[in-house]
Amino acid sequence: MANIVPFFTIIPLFTAFAISLLGRIFKNAFIHTLSIVSQFILLVLSLLSSVLLHRFVDGKILVYKIGGWIPPFGICMVLDGLSSFMLVTVNLLAFFVAIYSLNYMNKYTDKPKFFTLFFLMLTGMNGVIVTGDLFNLYVFLEIASIAGYALVAFGTEAEELEASFKYAVMGSVASAFIFIGIAFLYGFVSTLNMADMARILGTKTNQWVLPFVSALFFMGFGLKAALVPFHAWLPDAHPSAPASISAMLSGVLIKALGIYALARILFNIFGILPVYSKILMFLGALSMLVAVVLALSQWDLKRLLAYHSISQIGYIALGIGLGTPLGILGGLYHLFNHSIFKSLLFLNSGAIDYAINSRDLKDMSGLRERMPITYHTNLIASMSIAGIPPFNGFFSKLIIIIACIQSGYITYAIAAVVGSLLTLASFMKVQKFAFLGELKEKYRDAKEVPLAMQLSMVVLSIICITGGLLLLPSLRYFLDNAVNVLLDGSNYANRVLETALK
Amino acid sequence: MINFYPWFRLDSLNAFIVLAIGLFSLLVIVYSARFRFIRRRIALQYYICIILTALASIITVLANNLILLLVCWGFLGLTLYLLINLGDVGSETAAKKTFIIVGGSDAFLLLGIAIIYHLTDSLQMDQIKIYLDARPLSLSVIAYLCIAVACFAKAGAMPFHSWIPDCAESAPVPVVAYLPASLDKLLGIYLLVRFSLDLFVMNEAMNTLLMVIGAFTIVAAVMMALIQHNIKRLLGYHAVSQVGYMVLGIGTGSPLGIAGGIFHMLNHAIYKSCLFLTVGNIEAKTGTVDLARLGGLAKSMPFTYISCLVASLSISGVPPFNGFFSKWMIYQELIQKINIRQWSVVSLACLVAAMFGSGLTLASFMKLMHATFLGQRANKSTSQQSKDVAWTMWLPCIILAVICIIFGIFASQIPLRYFILPAIGKIDFIGIWYPGLSTLLIIVGLLVGIIIFKFKDIKPIWRQDKSFTGAETQDYKLQRISGTDFYNTIKELGVLKTIYKKAEAGTFDIYEQGKTLIFTIGRIFQYLHNGVLPTYLVWGLLGMLGLFLVLLR
Repeated sequence: MANIVPFFTIIPLFTAFAISLLGRIFKNAFIHTLSIVSQFILLVLSLLSSVLLHRFVDGKILVYKIGGWIPPFGICMVLDGLSSFMLVTVNLLAFFVAIYSLNYMNKYTDKPKFFTLFFLMLTGMNGVIVTGDLFNLYVFLEIASIAGYALVAFGTEAEELEASFKYAVMGSVASAFIFIGIAFLYGFVSTLNMADMARILGTKTNQWVLPFVSALFFMGFGLKAALVPFHAWLPDAHPSAPASISAMLSGVLIKALGIYALARILFNIFGILPVYSKILMFLGALSMLVAVVLALSQWDLKRLLAYHSISQIGYIALGIGLGTPLGILGGLYHLFNHSIFKSLLFLNSGAIDYAINSRDLKDMSGLRERMPITYHTNLIASMSIAGIPPFNGFFSKLIIIIACIQSGYITYAIAAVVGSLLTLASFMKVQKFAFLGELKEKYRDAKEVPLAMQLSMVVLSIICITGGLLLLPSLRYFLDNAVNVLLDGSNYANRVLETALK
Repeated sequence: MINFYPWFRLDSLNAFIVLAIGLFSLLVIVYSARFRFIRRRIALQYYICIILTALASIITVLANNLILLLVCWGFLGLTLYLLINLGDVGSETAAKKTFIIVGGSDAFLLLGIAIIYHLTDSLQMDQIKIYLDARPLSLSVIAYLCIAVACFAKAGAMPFHSWIPDCAESAPVPVVAYLPASLDKLLGIYLLVRFSLDLFVMNEAMNTLLMVIGAFTIVAAVMMALIQHNIKRLLGYHAVSQVGYMVLGIGTGSPLGIAGGIFHMLNHAIYKSCLFLTVGNIEAKTGTVDLARLGGLAKSMPFTYISCLVASLSISGVPPFNGFFSKWMIYQELIQKINIRQWSVVSLACLVAAMFGSGLTLASFMKLMHATFLGQRANKSTSQQSKDVAWTMWLPCIILAVICIIFGIFASQIPLRYFILPAIGKIDFIGIWYPGLSTLLIIVGLLVGIIIFKFKDIKPIWRQDKSFTGAETQDYKLQRISGTDFYNTIKELGVLKTIYKKAEAGTFDIYEQGKTLIFTIGRIFQYLHNGVLPTYLVWGLLGMLGLFLVLLR
C-alpha cells in the first residue's frame, strides 16, 4: 500500500510538465480537463489514503523507500497521520482553487504557464509533506517557493514585480538560513533522514548544536510561515498574486512550508523542549495581535486579508506551541479551518475584482444586490474567521482558548480573545463597505461571477458551515491521528525505521 | 422518550422565559405581516432570521451545557446583525457597531466559560458551583466579569450600551421590538441571574459593583433619553436605562431584589416592545419619527394611542401598572439594605438614583406623549384619514398593553405566583401594596374627578391671540410649538452642557474610544511597514538575533 505515497508528488509534477509541453499545441479545454482530472485524482487519493491509513494500516504509518533503499541509506517518503491530514487540506483546497481558476484566469493571459506553475507549487507542497528526508524537504520547499515567487509576479505589473522581488529576496534569505541549519545538523549527526536524525539525536547527550540550529529554523520556517517579525513580505506578496493563487498562498503554502515543517522538525526530530514551546507561543500571540491591528486599518481588501493570514497563523502557532493534546488539536484544527475560510475569502475578493475590477474597499458599496452568491459566501467566511458559532472557526478558537487556560497561560487566552474581537471588527468593515450600503451607480450592471467560480465558493462555504462536524467522535480520527503524531515526539524515529525495515 | 437531561434542563427560572420568548415571537410575526420594509424581496430572509432567533433563544435558555449555550448565544448575535441589515440605508453602520460589541462580548463569554471549565472540569451548568475569590484578579473573578460583560452587552447595560440607541434608530421597527427591546433583555438578564444565583456564589464586592453599575446606568441613560428628538433613539436610551433596574435588583443579592429584577425584566420586555411597535405604527402612518414633526395623533390612531399611553405609564413606574410593581420591589429591598450598616451608603445612593431615574423617565415620556399624540397637529393634510393602521399592527400593541395592566393589578396573583416565585423561593415584602384595591381607588378617584368636572361645567379657560414678535404679528394658527422645545433647557444647564456635548461626540462610548485606540496603534505599526525591503530584512535579522539570545543563553 505504501506505493501510493510517491503519487502525491508524481501526479502534479507530471501534470505540470504535460501542460507546459502540450499546452501550446492544444486548446484551453485540454488544459482545463487535465488540470481538473489530475487535481481530482489527487483529492480522491488523499482522502482515500486518510481513510485507509486509519482503518487498515497498523501503526498508522506508511513508508515508501525510493529505489528500495532502506533508510538511512536511501530517501524515504512517510505518510503518517499528520502528513495525511496536511495532504487532505492542501489537495482539497487546490481542487477548488483549480476549478475557480478555470474562469478566473481569463483575466490574465497564458493559462498554460499559470497551470504549470500552479502544479509545480503543488508538487513542492505535497513533497514537503510526504518526504522523510530533511534535505529532500528543503528541495521541495524551494520548488514550492520558487513557483510561488513566479506566481506572485504573474500579473507582471510594477506592483506585482516589486512584491515578487521582495518575496523572493526574503524567501531566499530564509531558505539560506534553513540550508545552513540543515548543514549544521548534518555535520552533527551525519545523516539526513529525519527518522534517523531523531534516533541519533536521542543517543547523544551533548546536543550543543540544537539551540543554534533551532534558532535558524525558527527564523527560516517562521519567515515561510509569516510569523511576526518575519512577516513583512506577506502583505505585499499575497495581494499581488492572482486571487486564486493568493488563496493557495494564504490558505496552504504558508502552513505546509512554515508551520508543518517547523512542527515536524521541532516535535518529531528535536523533541519539543519548553523553550521551543514558549518561543512558538510568544511569536504566535505577537502575530495574532500585531497583524490584526494592522489589518483593521487597511483599505485594500486583499491586503486586509493578507494581514489576517498572519494573525490566524498566530493562533495556529499558539495552539501547536502549547504542546498539550488539546492545544495541538486546536492548532491543527484551526489550520484546517483557516485554510478553508481564508481561501474562500480570497476567492471572494477575486470575484469582486473580476466583477468590478477593484480591490479598494472605499470604492465598492452595496454589492450584495448584484452579487448575492459572493455576498453570502463572504458572510459565512467572515463569520468563520471571526469565530462566530456555529461556523468552523469558532470551534477551533474555542479549543485553543480552553487549552491555553488549562496550561495556565491566561494572558495568551486573553490575547486570543482580543484578537478574535478585532478580527470580527475588521470583517464587519469588509461587509459594510463591500456588500452593504447603497449600490453605486457605476456598478449598476455588475454581474455575478461565472458558474465555476460560484461553485467553488459555495462548496467551500458549505465546508465552513459543516466544519464543526469534524469534532464528532466518528470523524475525530482525522484530527486525532495528526495530533498523535506530534504528541509522539521523537518516537517518530522508531516508528518510521521499524516500518521501513518490515 | 428521549432523555434531554445532560444537554437541556427546564426549571422554574427558564420556563417562563421560554413562554415569553414564544409570546414575543408570535406577536412580532403577526405585526410583521403588514409591515412595509424599506428594501424589497427580503420577506423570506426576514422570517427565516426571526424563526432562527426564536429557536436559538429557546435553546440558549434551556441549555444545561455551557458549550451549547455559547453556540446558540453567539448565533443570536449573527441573526441580530442580519436582521438589522434589513433596515434602511445607514443600518449597515449600526449593524456593524452592534455586532462588534455583541459579538466581541461573546468572545469574552467564551473566555469565561473556558475558565469555568478549567476551574471545575465540568460543562454541566447544574453541577457547577464556584465561590468568588476575595482577591480582585483571581480566576473566578475574571470568569465572572467575562460573563458579566457578555450579559451587559447583550442586555445593554453601561458601558456596553452604545449599540442600542444606534440600532433602535436604524433597524426595522419589528426587529428592534423583537431583539434589543425584549429578547436580548430576557437572555442577558437570564444569563446574569443564572450565573449569579446558580453557578457562582457572589461576594459583597461583586454585588456592590453590580449595584453601582445598575444605578449609574439608570441615571446616565435616562439623562441621555431626555434630550432625544427621535422617538426610536429616545426609546433606545430608555431600553438602556431600564436594564439598570434589573442589574440593580440582581446586585442586591437577596431574594426580594432578585425577584424584583427578574420581574422588571419581564415587564420591561412587555412594555418596551409595545412602545417600539407603537412607534412602528406612527412611522407607518406619518412617515417620520422626529418628535418635532409629529403631534395630535391621538384622534386618528386611538388604539395606538391607548397602548402607547399604558406602556408609557408602565415604564415610568406609575401605579397600578406593572412597571411600578417591579420597581417597588427593588426599592423595598434597597430600603431594607439601608439599615444594614456596611450597605447603607451604597444602598441609599442607589435608591436615590433609581427613584430619580424613575422621575426622569416619566418626564421624558410626558414629552413623548405630548409631542406625538397630543399637542397640535404637525401637518393637517397627512393626518386627514382618521383610520388607524392595519389591525395586525395595532392588535399586538393592545395585547401587550393589556398584559401590562394585568401584570400590574394582579401582580402577586399571576406573574409572581406562577413565574417569579417558583424560581426564587419565598420572599417577604416589607411594604404593603394592594394593587387591586388601589386600582379601584384610582378609578373611583378618576370617576369623581370626571363627575366634578362635568357637574360644575368647568371649561378649560384659555385665550388665543396673535403673537407679536420681531415687529411682526403672526397668526397663532400658523405657529406651532412642539413638545421637544421644553426639554432643550436641560441641555443648556452648566455642567450638563459639557457632558452632553461630550456624550454626543462619543467620548463615553466604549466603541468609539476603542476604535481611536486601535487606529492609533495601527498608525504606529503602519509607519513601521514602510515597504522598504532592507527594513524588512533588518527586522527579520533582529528577530533572529532575539531568538539566538533566548536559545543560546
